[in-house]
Amino acid sequence: MNIKKEKIGNFAILKIKGRIDTINSTVLEGVVNQLFDSGEKNLIFNCSGMNYISSSGLRVFLVTQKKAIPLNGKLYLCNMQPAIQEIFRISGFSNLFKIFETQEEALEN
Amino acid sequence: MGNRKNKHFVVENQIGELSSLAGKIEKLAEQWGLSPAIAMNINLVVEEALTNVIFYAFADNDKHEIEITVSLENKRLTIKIEDDGIPFNPLEKEQPDINLPAEERPVGGLGIFLMSQVMDEMHYNRQRNHNILTLNKNI
Repeated sequence: MNIKKEKIGNFAILKIKGRIDTINSTVLEGVVNQLFDSGEKNLIFNCSGMNYISSSGLRVFLVTQKKAIPLNGKLYLCNMQPAIQEIFRISGFSNLFKIFETQEEALEN
Repeated sequence: MGNRKNKHFVVENQIGELSSLAGKIEKLAEQWGLSPAIAMNINLVVEEALTNVIFYAFADNDKHEIEITVSLENKRLTIKIEDDGIPFNPLEKEQPDINLPAEERPVGGLGIFLMSQVMDEMHYNRQRNHNILTLNKNI
């Protein structure tokens, strides 16, 4: 997994590439926690390069949402590959996040 | 006669084993002409099963071998995971409520559910002090 951070307007953008699995999911969690600690509350996960997620990865997204809600933060996902979208759908996670086709659409919301 | 393909992996009960195994499974899927989506499903099943076994199946600190067999016969994919840990039947695990809002969703408990959802069938057997989990999918 590779994570690229970017700031556009009020959003911190995390561009994730590769796999999120049991071995590296805590790395992503650490990056997200740092962002919250530094005062960010609006996050966009650009998942264009993310080609694998397991329950450990889903866990990080849920924990992030649980932190963002009381902050009235925005947590958006975009550019998800179909196989990843399917995992979000079957786990009911599609209903827990706003998911956009493109990063531009996410930024407008 | 069937053109049955079979691949056997043996890993130790170390979570680091997952990384190299994932690469091997991707390569296997490619050799067998399976789509990246199916490769991801196989890897997902293997990861979820292995993490459960590695984290929860062994009360000792000893080395254990976990055996994984992936086979394909007439478009029927089978994944078998065998370990010598404490008896654990994943089919008896309570299913998560996937309709809860984020605030109420418990963290965790999705692994077995995901395995059952990406495959068509899941069977559990306890034989010779081994847990044998078999999953099938028609592809």
